[in-house]
Amino acid sequence: MLEQQLINGLTLGLIYALIAVGYTMVYGVIQLINFAHGEIYMLGAFFCVTFITAAGLPFYAAILMAILCCMLCGILLDIIAYRPLRKAPRLAALITAIGMSIFLQNVALIIWGSRSRPFPQSALPPFFREKALVIGDVSLTWLQLFIFAVAIIMMIGLYLTINKTRIGTAMRALAQNKTAASLMGINVNYVISFTFALGSAMGAVAGILVSVYYNTLYPTMGYTAGVKAFAAAVLGGIGSVPGAMVGGVVLGVAEALGAGYVSSLYRDGVAYAVMIAVIIFRPSGILGRSVVDKA
Amino acid sequence: MRAKNWTKAVLAACLLVLVCSPAWAQKIKIAVAAPLTGPAASYGENIKSGVETKVEEINAAGGINGVMVEVAYFDELCEPREAAVVAPRIVGDKDIVGVVGHVCSSAHLAALPTYVRMGMPVISPTATNVTISQQNKDNQGRVWSFRNVYLDDYQGYFLAHYVKEILGLERIAVFYENNDYGIGLKNAFVAEAKNVGLAIVGEEGYVKGATDFAPQLTRLRGGNPDGLFISGYYNEGALIAAQAENLGMNVAKFGADGLDNVDYINLGGAAANNTYMTVPFLAEAAPEQAQDFIKKFEEKYQRDLDWMSANAYDAAGKFAAAVAAVGTDRTAIRDYLAGINSMENAYIGITGATYFSEIGDPEKSAFVKMVKDGAFTAAPKQMQ
Repeated sequence: MLEQQLINGLTLGLIYALIAVGYTMVYGVIQLINFAHGEIYMLGAFFCVTFITAAGLPFYAAILMAILCCMLCGILLDIIAYRPLRKAPRLAALITAIGMSIFLQNVALIIWGSRSRPFPQSALPPFFREKALVIGDVSLTWLQLFIFAVAIIMMIGLYLTINKTRIGTAMRALAQNKTAASLMGINVNYVISFTFALGSAMGAVAGILVSVYYNTLYPTMGYTAGVKAFAAAVLGGIGSVPGAMVGGVVLGVAEALGAGYVSSLYRDGVAYAVMIAVIIFRPSGILGRSVVDKA
Repeated sequence: MRAKNWTKAVLAACLLVLVCSPAWAQKIKIAVAAPLTGPAASYGENIKSGVETKVEEINAAGGINGVMVEVAYFDELCEPREAAVVAPRIVGDKDIVGVVGHVCSSAHLAALPTYVRMGMPVISPTATNVTISQQNKDNQGRVWSFRNVYLDDYQGYFLAHYVKEILGLERIAVFYENNDYGIGLKNAFVAEAKNVGLAIVGEEGYVKGATDFAPQLTRLRGGNPDGLFISGYYNEGALIAAQAENLGMNVAKFGADGLDNVDYINLGGAAANNTYMTVPFLAEAAPEQAQDFIKKFEEKYQRDLDWMSANAYDAAGKFAAAVAAVGTDRTAIRDYLAGINSMENAYIGITGATYFSEIGDPEKSAFVKMVKDGAFTAAPKQMQ
């Protein structure tokens, strides 16, 4: 049973991790907690399904199109809602983010209606539902393996982008000191747009994977996922990309074990208890650097 | 002295005019209090489509005594807090003759005191929690809140007998939603399960909107159940069924009216097969006059008629019948509804004949339907 719970938790955790990196990157670069990120995740799922049902695209093409649309939404979100407030107090941007979250949720309710809808099964590769591995009581489906693979590939790609490319260097520079970076000739707005696009792409993939895994998507799905991913980002040390990955997985596993061994009613409670414990005993998060006061 | 007499006369005349003026107000409004947005919005949509259809029908036939009927929608998100806010607003609108709602038992319980205190007749098409009937009488012992749906304890009791005697199940794993509906239903089932000799291998709770049930299912699987009782609604129920199948649990699923929606099959896929549920309304068993309505509804909304819509349709119908008979006075409407109290003067709707007990609960029978080959069908064996 423990092995099965670990697999359950890992699947959930990798998805949290994908959303959490979006939070953490934006926070790292402009110190904004983008609460509308959960809605990008929701939009990813809806775009993908719409491309399949309305445009008749095959599964993988629909994923690509949904990612592109979400990247665009992320960039627009920044330009419309956050860029005008770049110099305003941080609280103003935070409130705007919450407002955008509610706004996007209701836009989705108007466009797609309130009912939960299933993911079009006929578009999925048929092997997804088959068991890849059964050892005694433990079973693992191809879909779960697919989620593992996609999440890990995306995260390696992200890691390489941030650490090995020019734009990644620019992002890291911005995270350290925005003014100094702009003095060095970095186009600040371009880098921020790129960060939003990258985070939104990860969020979109997470949304699609979740809607395939649970075979359900609904306009309010971004809220809880967003809060959980935010918790994961804080857990790992907000602003740290590897931290968000570790935080997501830790949170997912803690939740599965909590639900499986303690009480299923406390599963969210267990997740937040872990987060609170980390904040108390290691305020900078698992992988976060301790902040040295500038003054 | 003379002046005073004169004032008195005018007052008396005014009173006379008031009393004798026709009972027909300019407007007849029926309120729908339901979750129209938020996570439970799809239940609200069911209620809305039922009431909407009934009111369109009435207006197409010329209204009630020539007055067109309007529907006023009040969104309460299925949340007790919101329901308590909405209720006084409904009571304050003097054109409203009655409320169809609320959907969720918790929301209904929160709004109930306002209706009872302020004298507003209300018929809930869906709230099945047991404790409601203890709170719907005012100081004079008059019932203001009626229900068009049977109670959780009856469904739980019925299910325990059905799965043991008809399906022959032995070991049951229980999933319940952590709200008044899920807990009430589960408690009634578990209590009766002991009497009929069913073994309960485990009980797991969840909150509305949860999507991941694998950890709880993994734990329940260890108890080797042959039946899975889902005491909740169809959105989560479908996910529970699907994830149980993913974990290799090949069990019969069963639940109550909360599961009854075509989305249960859409979301659950193949895993939805072999699910049994009690319903207050079964199209196959519906009276003849209902078949026409069923066809019209399915054409208009492009989905199967669900029991929520059917009950809401009948609830609106009861208000319409009351207004047609006694006018728009709320107390008179209440008296009319309370008078529907035996089989002889039952209201004949599309869900069959309904009448209320003296505490406002309906006398209705339960039907069992099942999912077979990806579609709802009447269960081969019914139990009476």
